[in-house]
Amino acid sequence: MKKIHFILIPLVFFGFILTKVFPPDTENEKQKNAVITQDKIEQEKTEQDERKKFHENSSMRVSQKLNCKSCHSSEYPTKGDPGLLGCPRSDMISVYHSPEEGPEIVTIDEMSDYYSGVKFSHKVHAEMSEMSGGCTSCHHYNTTGPVLNCRKCHESSRMREDISLPDLKAAYHRQCMTCHKQWSSENGCNSQCHTRKGSESLQNTGKQINKTHPELKLPTKLVWETKSKVNKIVTFFHDEHISKFNLNCTSCHNQESCIKCHAEKKRSDFGKLISRERSIEEHHQPCANCHYGNSCGKCHQDKEMLSFDHKRSSGWVLKSYHSNIACSKCHGGKMPYRKVDHKCVSCHKDFAAEFDHKLAGFTFSEGHLELECKNCHAGGDFTKSPVCTDCHDDKSFPKDLPGKRK
Amino acid sequence: MDIIFYLILSSCNSRKFAPTKSLLHPRKSLIYCEHMNNLDRRNFLKTAAIGAASLTLGSASVKAADKTLSDDRIGILVDTTACAGCRHCEWACRTAHGLPAGELEDYSDNSVFKKYRRPDNNALTAVNEFENEKNPLMPVYVKTQCMHCEKPACVSACIVGALTKNEDGSVTWSDDKCIGCRYCMVACQFQIPTYEWHKSIDPHIMKCDLCAERRSKGQLPACVEICPNEALLFGKRSEVIKAAKNKIKRKPDTYINHIYGEHEVGGTSIMYISGEKFEKLKMPQLGTATAPGISEAIQHGIFAYFVPPVTLFALLGTMMWVTKWKKTNGNGDPKEDQPDDKDKKL
Repeated sequence: MKKIHFILIPLVFFGFILTKVFPPDTENEKQKNAVITQDKIEQEKTEQDERKKFHENSSMRVSQKLNCKSCHSSEYPTKGDPGLLGCPRSDMISVYHSPEEGPEIVTIDEMSDYYSGVKFSHKVHAEMSEMSGGCTSCHHYNTTGPVLNCRKCHESSRMREDISLPDLKAAYHRQCMTCHKQWSSENGCNSQCHTRKGSESLQNTGKQINKTHPELKLPTKLVWETKSKVNKIVTFFHDEHISKFNLNCTSCHNQESCIKCHAEKKRSDFGKLISRERSIEEHHQPCANCHYGNSCGKCHQDKEMLSFDHKRSSGWVLKSYHSNIACSKCHGGKMPYRKVDHKCVSCHKDFAAEFDHKLAGFTFSEGHLELECKNCHAGGDFTKSPVCTDCHDDKSFPKDLPGKRK
Repeated sequence: MDIIFYLILSSCNSRKFAPTKSLLHPRKSLIYCEHMNNLDRRNFLKTAAIGAASLTLGSASVKAADKTLSDDRIGILVDTTACAGCRHCEWACRTAHGLPAGELEDYSDNSVFKKYRRPDNNALTAVNEFENEKNPLMPVYVKTQCMHCEKPACVSACIVGALTKNEDGSVTWSDDKCIGCRYCMVACQFQIPTYEWHKSIDPHIMKCDLCAERRSKGQLPACVEICPNEALLFGKRSEVIKAAKNKIKRKPDTYINHIYGEHEVGGTSIMYISGEKFEKLKMPQLGTATAPGISEAIQHGIFAYFVPPVTLFALLGTMMWVTKWKKTNGNGDPKEDQPDDKDKKL
């Protein structure tokens, strides 16, 4: 009987520990579930009320050309699971303004605390944005009419009820920093945009006004060596593409990121290039706009290409008058250029009636002025040399001329 | 006496707060524990009484810590993709806590990122730089500070109740009660509390207090207020989690689908979202189990209903009674005593 003390007491003791470590909690959970279902019913009621209100005001919204799919990815969005898409940056904008229409300088100083406000060179940024998506790259939500202010959606107070959007200060900074952080290794605020309050050197106050982009040094020729074993050289004549095809920068450079040009400094800091994997389609996109249907060999060759030569490419030498006119004069203004055959009538429709031979660099002597073209140019083929022997037994072209060369 | 002392402590840790509506008044809840500072006899008896009462309530005392947290408690979401590494939060934090801060411009020095830094007694928060594999030009910056755990290990470990988990979610340290044992430093899984080793007189345990003083004036925490990119999103914890989930859903390419701190160690007030895996950002990989959860359950289980002391005294009493009984009956019947003696030796 005495030994029972030594067995019973530790048993009771461990029993207590077990109940405390794993306490039974079923009743509490049942109560909680009941409360949750009640909450759900109330939530649904309020949702229905909100939907009613929305439809009452819907006439106003319809004018903005919104549909559910602009914002919701799911078929039946609910309040609990709205299935929201990202802020519809590009889809929502329905107005386009040229950089000149916008303000030149925007002063942002309503929230300045430690630093002075920012004189933002809007025009320069707008001009540069043409190369990377235009206004939408910053003004991400706009329907119709004038461009919306940031503060229309972003609250200026950081202590706020709705935290689903960043506040105004963050909205501004995030716009700038995504690019500026990448091309500058400087970490301070004092350098690029702000001036520390109280500091004497007001470096930024006048700097931004009339700021234009420094003139760019355009490359003439770019040569790439691809990884391919055969035909690994690609030559690109940048200058010819601009001069011969009337291209401006944005014709090709319309999806560039700012750092493509501006990150050079920082790249060396990291010692790495940004090498994002791109699909073949994506990689050839800038060329494929015009060069669709061309074979690979057009660009990929086993040696560097020579620059454009009309004679080599087409077999037709451009002389005198033709060498001075724009390509589009014969080949049409639209890309891709229209193919033209060697016959003059292909371009010069009313050729015989009005043609002034002086334009071809040759002035007739008096006796030849009244002649018809085909009298000299046999069969109307102007690529062949004129025939003199029909009238003159002792003369031949080009030794003897029916007039003067210009 | 030990038991009474334990009762007082447990009553202080598990006291129930009157819920306050504002997020910004951490001190309100602190007042409840202030009586420990000037513990006169009346208060001592009161606490002892409350302690005894909580004992009789049994399991209620174990779960009391949950109920003290307000539904509107604070949460801060650190969006590492938005952080630009300007370190202004470090300056603002030092300034707000009266630590030597220097000039704001000095913080644009990038060279500090070469070494991984932890918060210490001179800096309650530290920003570190990590490589961004997706874009080497945009490194990832991660701010570290006290996580203000939902079930803080430091509070559990503190033997004098100098650390308090407040109703608003913040974990604060009280100068008046701390005895400098530094158990909190050992207990914290994030290695946050630091000690002023250089001070021989009145050294403090230094850690983020979510700017209790500023919030009592209706201001935001200093780091939150100064952040240019609002990489620190301040709000109710529930709202902040909602916002974080929304961000991840809307930008699945930017973020990994994980809110660090939503469930880690039972949840924390400071939470992180990132485009990189958190182990790459030197964030400790911790389970969802709370550190104090297991230890406290065992401890509280042992002491519930006075079981161990009663058992102990009962055991001792029985032994005393047995030996006394043996002594009185020993001379009369020595043969019966011998097997009992053997049992004791075993």
